[in-house]
Amino acid sequence: MTDPDFSPTNTLARLLAIGAVVVGMLVVVIVVTSVVFEREEPRIHPPVTSLDVPPPIASEAEVFRMDREVRAVAWDAPRRPAAHPRNLATFRRLRAYPGAPPRVPHGLTDAEFRETRCNHCHASGGYSPRFGAYAPVTPHPEWSGCLQCHAADASIVGVELPPPGAPAAEQARCGQCHIDPDAPSPRLVSVNWSSESWPELDQRAMEGAPPAIPHDVELRGNCVACHAGPAAVEEIRTTHPERTDCRQCHVLVEEAAGGAVGTQGFHRPGAAEGDR
Amino acid sequence: MTEDGVRGEGRAEGGETLERREFLRRSALASAVAAASALVPDVAFGEEVERYLSGSSSVQWRKTPCRFCGVGCGLLVGIEDGRAVAVRGDPESPVNRGLACVKGYHSVQALYGEDRLTRALVRRGGTLVEVPMEEALDLVADRLRETVEEYGKDSVAMYGSGQWTIPEGYVASKFFKGALGTNNLEANARLCMSSAVTGFMSTFGMDEPPGCYEDIDHADVFVLWGNNMSEMHPVLFSRMLEERRRRPGVRIVDLATRTTRTSYAADRSILFAPQADLAIANAICHELVTRNRVDREFVNRHVAFKRGRTNIGYGLEDGFSFQDRPEDATWDEFVEFLSDYTPERAAEISGVPAADIRWLASLYGDPNRRVMSLWCMGPNRHARGTWMNNLMYNIHLLTGKIASPGNSPFSLTGQPSACGTVREVGTLTHRLPYGQVTNEEHRRNAAEIWGVPVENIDPEPGYNTMEMFRALDRGDIRFLWIQVTNPFVSMPDLNRYREGAEREGRFVVVSDVYPTPTTDVADVVLPAALWIEQEGLFGNSERRTQHFEKMLDPPGEAMSDLAQLLAVARRLGHGDLFPEGDDPVDELWEEYIQFHDAPDHRMASLSELRERPGIMWPYVDGRETRWRYNTTHDPAADPDRGAYDFYGNPDHRAWIWLRPYEPPPEWPDEQYPFWLNTGRVLEHWHTGSMTRRIPTLHRAVPQAYVEVHADDARELGVADGETVRLVSRRGTLTLPARIDHRAQPPRGQVFVPFFDESLLVNELTLDAYCPISAQPDYKKCAVRVERVGAGTGP
Repeated sequence: MTDPDFSPTNTLARLLAIGAVVVGMLVVVIVVTSVVFEREEPRIHPPVTSLDVPPPIASEAEVFRMDREVRAVAWDAPRRPAAHPRNLATFRRLRAYPGAPPRVPHGLTDAEFRETRCNHCHASGGYSPRFGAYAPVTPHPEWSGCLQCHAADASIVGVELPPPGAPAAEQARCGQCHIDPDAPSPRLVSVNWSSESWPELDQRAMEGAPPAIPHDVELRGNCVACHAGPAAVEEIRTTHPERTDCRQCHVLVEEAAGGAVGTQGFHRPGAAEGDR
Repeated sequence: MTEDGVRGEGRAEGGETLERREFLRRSALASAVAAASALVPDVAFGEEVERYLSGSSSVQWRKTPCRFCGVGCGLLVGIEDGRAVAVRGDPESPVNRGLACVKGYHSVQALYGEDRLTRALVRRGGTLVEVPMEEALDLVADRLRETVEEYGKDSVAMYGSGQWTIPEGYVASKFFKGALGTNNLEANARLCMSSAVTGFMSTFGMDEPPGCYEDIDHADVFVLWGNNMSEMHPVLFSRMLEERRRRPGVRIVDLATRTTRTSYAADRSILFAPQADLAIANAICHELVTRNRVDREFVNRHVAFKRGRTNIGYGLEDGFSFQDRPEDATWDEFVEFLSDYTPERAAEISGVPAADIRWLASLYGDPNRRVMSLWCMGPNRHARGTWMNNLMYNIHLLTGKIASPGNSPFSLTGQPSACGTVREVGTLTHRLPYGQVTNEEHRRNAAEIWGVPVENIDPEPGYNTMEMFRALDRGDIRFLWIQVTNPFVSMPDLNRYREGAEREGRFVVVSDVYPTPTTDVADVVLPAALWIEQEGLFGNSERRTQHFEKMLDPPGEAMSDLAQLLAVARRLGHGDLFPEGDDPVDELWEEYIQFHDAPDHRMASLSELRERPGIMWPYVDGRETRWRYNTTHDPAADPDRGAYDFYGNPDHRAWIWLRPYEPPPEWPDEQYPFWLNTGRVLEHWHTGSMTRRIPTLHRAVPQAYVEVHADDARELGVADGETVRLVSRRGTLTLPARIDHRAQPPRGQVFVPFFDESLLVNELTLDAYCPISAQPDYKKCAVRVERVGAGTGP
């Protein structure tokens, strides 16, 4: 008597059965795994769109670029009394209109002109014995094609200026750089130019209130560059450059949305009726 | 800076006097400028102010806390000939040390808007007509009495604000809860910091922060959670910037859903997807635990673990109510709970790279750095606001960085007396002064101090703010008196609630200083005194109580909100419960501080508060408490319990809560593909009813706008300044788009400030709220943006 279990047919059937069980288990495992996997990854949260930090808005970001450490002269350093003065009158004379890029008011050697070396002095400021003056700090040192906007009159290129206090004959050369834009000049066709008036300084709502910012801040968002330090124009030098968050107190006037709203005071819609 | 700007308001005198005075003033200021480089460290413009004050001027300078935000800057207001003419930061104030912000410097101009309400108005035949104040008060009292008689005591309600003075909130509470016997008393602080309250209550068992602003002077790292401090709390932000300048190594991290001025000033800006702060906070804890940065000794001794209910809903249904059920949990359960929040998992939810989350955890976990977390509306105006507050405390509790100098989770507030009036007086439906209506002992104590039968005080809370306005809509509330706030600009899903107030058979009384969309729907408008036109007290975010005296007369028939409340209470026969006079601040303060007469809450006397620029409570034996729960600082903390004693909870431990991430109630889909975020701007405060009357501030931001990401705008075909239409499931708003002006939302998000009553973004927002705090989530709902085109204004 043979054990039926050992018959070849039985062995085959067994193998088939085992194979079926294995396949069945695999299917179960796959199904269960996929269910579990699904359950572990339910969409319980809203989709995240791109959250890359955007390039900064210059007028907002520049305020905080204080860079005290890169300055050659501290904001609060006292000014040498003999230094070449910088005041509103000279400031305005170098600009065609409020907000215009100023002309270059001093001599440039040929090499300086060719290589646009302005940021050597103007990126960090400091006292320049050559000109007997403090170099104004540019609010936008990241732009290095300075002459693209700041014109250098042909008469000043290749000119080395004598320091103040030099003999009178040499002082007479000041005019080479301090060019009077209204002065007649050979081959200059005179223009009948007038511009909007300079913004009123010290626009305070009341005594002691912080004055408003009377100009736009495009390319000029870094307040302390122009308003602090010994090179700052005398009339607009701040007493408190260390405060950092300038626009906490000094607001832009007419920062109207899309320029849609004028300078009128607030009036409720339909205020005239006094009632709805 | 030039010093010749004498361009004050109301400077009627001329001739010699003015010239002489001006000369003196100029010379004083000139020397101040010369001395500017020698400014006392920490005191902004101190010398300048002092010299100014010693000048022979007829301007009298008096101290007050600022009228606007919850920072509570000390101001000096210059009074001349019965008018406020100038403002200086108070150099004596430890809050702001002489510095203010543009709102503070111009604050007094809010007193003199041309359309200031000076006469009472009563609606007759659909129109508001002027009536004598006494007549209007009679009408208010009659209608209040009749409504209670006809519909029961719970058919009347009062809605105040965190701009009430402390005595005003106290009288409102006593009048409604003690005399009328209804708990239908709420304040708009429900909309701005009730999640902060429930966060404090659930973690510490007591409200208000363990630390104070002085923490800024000691912290090495500042993490701002959804908090544009540069615009919203500018003076404190300036203090942080100053610390960073003075102390190398100080770092500011801006963790936010939108790039703002604060992001630019910060050392690091990290953007996260709305609602995902829950996951980030848990992932930080996950990192602290797995990298063994936990202060084990602190946790073993001072912390307990709790688990609450989950999947808790959003409060969108009328009559929604929720009660959390705290259950004990263990450290191991906490660790297991955190295993769901690996930085990678949180990165997936939040969009913040896991490396950045690990970096944040490394800052919190560094034993050599003191860390201050600051937040305000971001985590509070949040469908899981209470949870988010809990989670930030979890981080500080795990690292033991709490209640010691520079280690400070700090919840900021937005209103000048959200803490003082709403939280300490308890002008919320479930609260009593320093107590809960549900607590029998608290009711007994209140009844005794108030001199009313204890049965007068209802042990059941009434309607929270959202439910209160829903009840007004349904007709369950018939009489509503609104003081010092403007809900029909500030409520979410505004259309529904405004329509509710306009229904037949509702009587709405509004006390305010200017006409607003809220006075527009009123049946009676009562002209109110503003700020320094009355004596009062505010309480700021750092537990500092600040007094101001009456400096000016209110215009016309305007009366303080306090005098109005007292006048109506007296007409209803409750005069014997209140001291005599219109503004009996002295007597009210004496009565009120009896509620706080314990070492954990004691308040200073009025005579001390009159002299000093604010005093922090607990104030015991002439000492302010800067760090609560710290046994070397807090007189109520028991030194036998170690360095800290979290005595607010019965087990004297602070509770770490296992709070999961849960999704927001509404998020962008195909139909409404953008997130809508709302908030404020530096120049405007709250609903703009005051700041828009200040020319400098109005001109800086004359109207609302919608910030759109430049790439989204390009896809929509919208240029800067062009008009777009926002559409949500609840409303539509047409307004100009702004691209890269002041701040930038990320792609897929737009932002609208809510101050503009002509462009009401709250007609679009969703009235979902945190089920525990009932504070709505104004920071996220879904909208569609449609191009309208140029030249078609709103």
